[in-house]
Amino acid sequence: MDEVKLRCELGVLTRPDGSVLFSEGETTVVAGIYGPVESKINKTLVEKACVEAYFRPKSGLPGVKDRLNESMIRNVCEAVIAVALFPRTAVVVVVQEMQNNGQLISCALNATCLALLNSGIDMKCMYAAVTCFLDRSDSIVLIPPADEREIKGSFMFVFDSVEKTILASHTEGSFSIDQYKDALSLCREESTNIFNFFKKALTIK
Amino acid sequence: MVEDVNENTTVFPGEVIKDVKAVKGVTILGPGLKRNEDPPNTLRITRAGKLQFKPPNIYWVSHNHKRYIPKRGDLVVGIIVKKAGDSLRIDIGSGEYASLSMLAFEGATKKQKPDVQVGDVIYGKLLNAHREMEPELVCVDSYFKAGKMGPLSNDGFVFTVSLGLVHRLLDPENPILTALGKVFPYEIAVGMNGKVWVNGRNTKEVLTVLRCLETAELHDDKVIVELCRQSK
Amino acid sequence: MSEQYKILHPVKYYRDYLAHNIRPDGREFDKYRPIVVNLGSISTADGSAIAKVGRTTVVCGIKAELCQSKAEAANEGFLIPNVELPPLCSSKFRPGPPTEQAQVATQLVADILKNSECLDLKSLCIFPDKLAWCLFADLICLDLDGSLIDACMIALMAALKSVRLPVIDYDPALDNKQANLEHRKPLNITNIPSSTTFAKFDDKIVMDPTVDEEDLSTALITIALRKNELCFVHKPGGASVTDEQLLKCIDESQKRAIVIEGIVETALRSLQ
Repeated sequence: MDEVKLRCELGVLTRPDGSVLFSEGETTVVAGIYGPVESKINKTLVEKACVEAYFRPKSGLPGVKDRLNESMIRNVCEAVIAVALFPRTAVVVVVQEMQNNGQLISCALNATCLALLNSGIDMKCMYAAVTCFLDRSDSIVLIPPADEREIKGSFMFVFDSVEKTILASHTEGSFSIDQYKDALSLCREESTNIFNFFKKALTIK
Repeated sequence: MVEDVNENTTVFPGEVIKDVKAVKGVTILGPGLKRNEDPPNTLRITRAGKLQFKPPNIYWVSHNHKRYIPKRGDLVVGIIVKKAGDSLRIDIGSGEYASLSMLAFEGATKKQKPDVQVGDVIYGKLLNAHREMEPELVCVDSYFKAGKMGPLSNDGFVFTVSLGLVHRLLDPENPILTALGKVFPYEIAVGMNGKVWVNGRNTKEVLTVLRCLETAELHDDKVIVELCRQSK
Repeated sequence: MSEQYKILHPVKYYRDYLAHNIRPDGREFDKYRPIVVNLGSISTADGSAIAKVGRTTVVCGIKAELCQSKAEAANEGFLIPNVELPPLCSSKFRPGPPTEQAQVATQLVADILKNSECLDLKSLCIFPDKLAWCLFADLICLDLDGSLIDACMIALMAALKSVRLPVIDYDPALDNKQANLEHRKPLNITNIPSSTTFAKFDDKIVMDPTVDEEDLSTALITIALRKNELCFVHKPGGASVTDEQLLKCIDESQKRAIVIEGIVETALRSLQ
């Protein structure tokens, strides 16, 4: 089976503290991190940093669908950033979609992880997001089928780098429990590749 | 998991260092490391970067940051953004503005305050930097002497470099600034927060220093020294 | 005494309860709150229902309108859910544009509907490219006490089941439409998807959390099922869970899905 090709370029933007241009297969996003910065008064938390996530679609204004992506990015980042070290501040995560070929959420999440590593903010662990697809012949593949109608469902998992437990899960379409389990184990295998890619990308620098 | 600590191993958040060396039970931890509760005597990495170890017991992770996190005792360059009564608000590039009392200048009294305006550049020392509190700057040492601290001339030019470069420049053995000084005279104040103030005889020379430091971000010291030698 | 303790040390208060394998409201970890469904509460809507899960109350009203279908999906109608969290339901909300939580809930409900394929949108089409039904499903939360998505799904599915659409006679040549209000037909709902929310607190996972439990918890998991198939497993970050914990949640939500389906069916029978 072919692998999903990962590419990244760290520090593409000069203004943010950490930034990355990341592509997973044909899906590409740019992510930038600002932080810790001064937070809005009504969002300030006394005991920890508040994470703000902004997801910009490739055209038009962000809609309801993007709010869901934002909430996932925010929740995952909140779980891995050592938020307790920066009370009363904000960490701003901005993701700009460039091209979507099915793995948009996992690509956005992986990009934020790389951008966070690039910014050097304190983190508890790394994470990797993997998307896989269930096609009409009931087989689970990592590469999105060329024809959109072939996709019966898709699974997205986020794993942490230490214990490889599940940080986040998101699915589309309907499927049996066994298929879900299969997808989970396939994605967990693939997550090792992504972690290795992250490590390689950061070591070369 | 990192088993043995080699100089310059690249480490990643979440990894654990075992068998930490300690002197009389004391290990000094720099940025990017946290002590682990379980199992004991291990460290957890919180940043991606190169793990550094200085015998006998100092550990840290080096990473080229852009965002400054205030540390007590750091000498920084900041810009006045607001005057509020007896205190000034200074932008030092961290999450929060630092405060600087008008009385924290050499020879300042209630009646005789220093003449500073919004937009002026200040070279000062962080008296207090705790994550729960706002950072506090002073422009005097513990003997109420200014030394090199205080307002910097408005003829100078301020720009921002990465924190990794600041650490390199502030190394007393680093040749970049001396090599440049041999080409033409200039004044420089390098703040630990990444802000750098430069003054020279004319604009061209100031811009040369700026260009030189921008090049230094991407190349190592030898390249800069070589460039300086050629331009002489 | 316990009231003050709860306010001063909410986390410890909750942890003490969990240490004794019980929750502050007297439930065990894998017990859900009673579910109440009432159908046809709003006479002006084409279909309506009120669902209560514990104290969480959601009203769903469905309004059907005739419209032209989209060019890219000429033979499909529309089903547009919208979740509203007015200031009435909780002190967290203020009047104004929809909060992020409301928008996320709207998207989750829409995703579950789409994934479960419970209503074939093609059946809402009257004449391709000309005329189709557009169903606006407005979900208004009256009282927010946790597990919002669960209550929304129950209210929405019950309301959809109660919709009776008039038969439309359409003459494409004259663009003339005639509604036959006497002759009404129910929607063709193929399955009743239901969702179950879980909250993770320390190492324990509790089912059907209240709002206090949701606020204290470190992670939320929402699992939706149709019959025996999964149609949504959503965990938006937060603390990580192991595979065993996640699969156990799926197992338990399966049991609850059967109960919810039974409740909706019973409510429907009482209407007829």
